[in-house]
Amino acid sequence: MENNFFNRIKGGEFILSTLLVAFVTAIGSLFRGVIDASNFTVLYLLAVVISALSWGMAASVFTAFFGVLAFDFFLVPPYNSFSVSDLKYIYTFVGFIITGVIVSLVASRARKQAVDTKQREARTAVLYRLSNEMAECETLEQVVGALRKNVGELLNCSTAVFMPLTDGITTAGNDADFPVDAHGNAVAQWVMSNKKPAGIGTSTLSAAKAFYVPLETSSEAVGVLGIKTNDGRVIFNTPEMELVTALANQSSVAIQRAMLAARSRDMELAKKTQALQAALLNSISHDLRTPLVSITGALSALTQDFEAVDAFDRKELLQAAYEDSLHLNEIVGNLLDMTRVESGSLRLNLRQCDLRDLIGVSLKTLKDKIEGRPVIVDLPGEIFEIPMDFALVMRVFINLIDNAVKYSPAGSGIMIKARAEGGGAVIEIKDSGFGIPEQDLEHIFDKFFRAQKPRQVSGTGLGLSICRGIVEAHGGKIWAQNNPDHGAVFFIKLPLMPAAAINTGKGRG
Amino acid sequence: MEKNKSGLRILIVDDEKGIRRFLRAALNSNGISVIEAPDGAQGVDMALNSHPDAVILDLGLPDMDGIDAVKKIRERSMAPIIILSVRDDESDKIAALDAGADDYLTKPFNAGELLARIRTIMRRLTTGQEESVYRSGALEVDITRHIVTVKDRAVKLSPVEFDLIKILVMNSGNVLTHKKILKEIWGKKEEPEDALHLLRVTISNIRNKIEPDPNRPEYILTEPGVGYRLFEE
Repeated sequence: MENNFFNRIKGGEFILSTLLVAFVTAIGSLFRGVIDASNFTVLYLLAVVISALSWGMAASVFTAFFGVLAFDFFLVPPYNSFSVSDLKYIYTFVGFIITGVIVSLVASRARKQAVDTKQREARTAVLYRLSNEMAECETLEQVVGALRKNVGELLNCSTAVFMPLTDGITTAGNDADFPVDAHGNAVAQWVMSNKKPAGIGTSTLSAAKAFYVPLETSSEAVGVLGIKTNDGRVIFNTPEMELVTALANQSSVAIQRAMLAARSRDMELAKKTQALQAALLNSISHDLRTPLVSITGALSALTQDFEAVDAFDRKELLQAAYEDSLHLNEIVGNLLDMTRVESGSLRLNLRQCDLRDLIGVSLKTLKDKIEGRPVIVDLPGEIFEIPMDFALVMRVFINLIDNAVKYSPAGSGIMIKARAEGGGAVIEIKDSGFGIPEQDLEHIFDKFFRAQKPRQVSGTGLGLSICRGIVEAHGGKIWAQNNPDHGAVFFIKLPLMPAAAINTGKGRG
Repeated sequence: MEKNKSGLRILIVDDEKGIRRFLRAALNSNGISVIEAPDGAQGVDMALNSHPDAVILDLGLPDMDGIDAVKKIRERSMAPIIILSVRDDESDKIAALDAGADDYLTKPFNAGELLARIRTIMRRLTTGQEESVYRSGALEVDITRHIVTVKDRAVKLSPVEFDLIKILVMNSGNVLTHKKILKEIWGKKEEPEDALHLLRVTISNIRNKIEPDPNRPEYILTEPGVGYRLFEE
């Protein structure tokens, strides 16, 4: 479409046609009386053709009729009068009108085709660009973003995209000046259910502040596109509507594809989870059975023939069974912790707790294991209060100190240090053992990961991932490093002010 | 094996046959006779009508909330109640203690722990009155004379610190919940954070004065999430 001034004002083509007729009449008047007046019809036909090609059918028919009047008035004797002296001019007029209208028809059809082609090319270019952008989109958010960006730029409007929920509808993205309210959502919901446009300019729910188009594929409605033009113009039933429909169709397919991709990712994840659960069950059965074998063995030997076993061996067997049952209890405890961490049912009973107290209880619980080991506790002051779930963080300390014992030589020292740093408490648990292979530092907090065993080290490989779960539930961080000299350091950082987001469950007090 | 040397009779309320069997064996071999109930209804009935010297009550009963069982027994009987509960159940432990239970054991527990709890409770019961001088290791607390010594060296405690160690001593060996301590010492009915802070600071101060290594307390023990207990030999 030409972009000149007259095309933008309503009826501009008629003014231009009038000017054109005036121009042709002026030229004709130069030769008035010199040549036969019938010859001027050629000039007027030219004006009709020009007007048809430039401004379309209505303008050219107007040119034909207006041309005849001007021709009659100015160029056909008697001049400056509509009366006609010679009857042959009547035939000229009729012939001219018929020719003019036919020429108008043919020329304006040619023009329309040219204009259509141009528009189609422009639209194809837009759709091509959108389809390219959508092809690069991986997530639903990106598809919605691309659609909104293109529609917004092309139509000079603010937009919103609505997506269905199991009950109702939600915005999947909208411009700040797009009215998102209960009424708008209700309109979007209607459009979603009926798969028909509604809102401004339509006959349905026309009181809405925007225009709503369904985003539908052949099988289902995947969403609704809301359009609010910045100049308040109507889109429905205008040439722009075709563009909107084309954009909507194209993005619907992309949206559906993104939804399917997300669904398949979920299924993939479920599959992996299942495989992991199978591995978990295997590992658990093994871990549970090992101590059970020794317990059952020892006890069966004793029940079978108590008297035949001498007193020393009796004591040995019972001691072994007792120790393994304690180990069994530890495994079950870890599994329970893991389940709670994993299922997200970890409810924190957050309270200020004295860190020294917590370390004291942890060390007491591990009394037998740290026998003969120098333990240095280095705290800033006599009372260091941190908001935490005492019992849960105690699990973390017990796991970490127990680890330090397992992975360092008998009799070597363990150091526990804490300091306040940047709104948090940083606690270090340091051993002087074998350290952690550099490539494992990242993975030791993963489930079932166990660093290369320096010797027979028992455990489920769950301890550190439980620690991470508990610390992260507190809004904290846990990580490990190797000492420059030797041994490993585990760091825990806990926030000193409990974040509002932390899940504080009522209950255990 | 000497049977019924102590003449004590204890009621065991637990739905697990295995646990009853283990408890019966452990108690019998220490001269304590046992009566058993497999559920809450029978347990409450026997506690009230068979007049046991103490009750060992599992919190996880099939027919009744263990805490309700504690309350029902307490309505008409002052027999000491020791509850059995699993780990991660602090709220239940606290509720049961606040409902009138005397102490708790976390499953699994060993026979030694169980007998220590019973001895502690029975000693208070049989002597009737708390002893006025309490000794544990090098720690000695004389309640009537307001004197606390560690390794025969007198320790100066503030009045609040002394009140706190006094109620710990009077319940020595048994757990005291935060709630109970706040009520006894500061007269608080609730557990506001500032009062709990004061309690933690007071405990920390006492430990600094009496513990050989305050980082690893031996006398005043913390029961995670529940309260404190004074260690009894």
